[in-house]
Amino acid sequence: MGNTGKGHKIRETKCPTGFNWTNIKAEFRAIWESNIKAWKLDLAYPVSFVRQCMHPLIFLLPFIIYGLVLIGGRYSEHLEQLIGTGDIVTFLFTGYMIMGFIGTAVWAMGFSIRREQWFGTLESIYVTPTNRLSLVLGMALHSTLHQSMGTAIQFAATYLMFGLTLKIGGLLPALGIFALMMLALYGFGILVSALSLVLKEGWIVAEGLHSIMMILSPVVYPLVVLPTIAQQASAMFPTAPALVGMRALILENYRPELIGNVFLHLFALDLAWILFGIFIFHLTDIYVRKRGSLEKY
Amino acid sequence: MRANLFIIWSELIKNLKFLLAYPVVFVFWAIFPVFWFVPFILQGEAFVGGLQSQSFAQIAGTPEYIPFIVLGAILNSYVLTSLYGMGESIRREAYRGTLDYILSSPCNKAFILIGKALSESISSTMFAISQLLISILFFGLEMTLGIIMPVILIIILLILGLYGIALVLAAVSLRYKQAHDMAHTLEYVFYLFAPVRYPIEILPIWLQIIGKLLPLTYALIAVRSIMLLKESISFVYMEILALLIIDAIVILIGFYLFNWMEKRTKTSGTISHY
Repeated sequence: MGNTGKGHKIRETKCPTGFNWTNIKAEFRAIWESNIKAWKLDLAYPVSFVRQCMHPLIFLLPFIIYGLVLIGGRYSEHLEQLIGTGDIVTFLFTGYMIMGFIGTAVWAMGFSIRREQWFGTLESIYVTPTNRLSLVLGMALHSTLHQSMGTAIQFAATYLMFGLTLKIGGLLPALGIFALMMLALYGFGILVSALSLVLKEGWIVAEGLHSIMMILSPVVYPLVVLPTIAQQASAMFPTAPALVGMRALILENYRPELIGNVFLHLFALDLAWILFGIFIFHLTDIYVRKRGSLEKY
Repeated sequence: MRANLFIIWSELIKNLKFLLAYPVVFVFWAIFPVFWFVPFILQGEAFVGGLQSQSFAQIAGTPEYIPFIVLGAILNSYVLTSLYGMGESIRREAYRGTLDYILSSPCNKAFILIGKALSESISSTMFAISQLLISILFFGLEMTLGIIMPVILIIILLILGLYGIALVLAAVSLRYKQAHDMAHTLEYVFYLFAPVRYPIEILPIWLQIIGKLLPLTYALIAVRSIMLLKESISFVYMEILALLIIDAIVILIGFYLFNWMEKRTKTSGTISHY
């Protein structure tokens, strides 16, 4: 206990610092608490929560119905010629399932800091002795769980309405690819959250990146229909190799459109996006605090 | 009357100033909605292997799915701006702290709402024209001078219906504050049950009924008939009649509900709560 000149006692708090187990444990606790806070906020608005859980299904259905109208059934001969499988429903489901997680990185993580600005709590969070990234990662944990719930609803509804043909044996390694993709997307989310701090209209960056990623990823069409330059650009984002790898494991007769080791590709992208995201995050962190523009938006 | 016109004019100028104060936002809405329908075009190419689909023609009446998608997306952008623009305009005034002043001003609030609707219509039309030009350049959409007037008439009727719905939304947000979720839910209804991406004939009958209650359904059928099937305006008189009836009903309900909610909010003293 400390002592002030007026005789008041000040409670001293031990803040673990440096790279040691106590500090890492404290950061994990901060991530967990940030996740719990986001869940509490979510569940405080039950109507909004239910709507958000239905969102992945609502946005998948038009792609499926449009596909059914285009070919007059669920099997496309042309798609089969391109990638070996012609079942459009399973193809679209496996693609759009990933699309929701791109939204997780771009919107939920990207705007975690911006939201604290709106709530007026950012300065309070910034003066706490935790790493700023813990807040973003807590939000990432929450939104990944939230999106998983939406994807489970999407899966159940698509299975019941149309039926899905998946190779169950490939699910486990596909989850491994998914985890690697998520790591790179977290790096991407950290980058967007940094940009949202300095750019007044950060949502435009998020929406722009989301749209570009949707076009460059083989979500609702195989990569081969894209122009060559766009196919090359798609290799920079984790969604393209992850989708090709996952489809190769869980779709019957699927011929991968990308050549090379998907795992190595994703490892490289994980490293690149996480390091780049953290680097930009630290730069913007220093910049906004120097300028005193933390609470401005 | 002059004073009321001045209110509309001032509201119009205020909103356009807001819009032009954020040029990046302006450019975004003028260009980015195009990116949202590109995946549908590429999906068509992957599934069909060409620019025409005979299966599509059996239901839609035209084998060319790209103009079908493009027109659907452009007209749907009016839905988005009316729901999120007009529908949440009252909420925005509350956020800015100006709602109290607006509602206590000695004027008919209907004219403020007309001003807001007019400014939203102008900005939406500017964005739609930009998307149309991009679509003509890159997606081979055809536009002749002869069809401009009938298309404009149908768009005006669509806007009236959508702003009637947005008025209901504004009224609800005045009283219950959370208009955002309602706007999202309505967006889902339009997205699934209006023929934006596909003809609604593919849906089960009971879902088609929901689609037939939406003004966008009739506007899309009429515009596509004129632009893609080269029909005359007299061919779509039933759709125009349906639009007129929907417009009259939703605008009346919208104004009635707004006045009622305004009185209730004033009595409860929760105008500036959010």
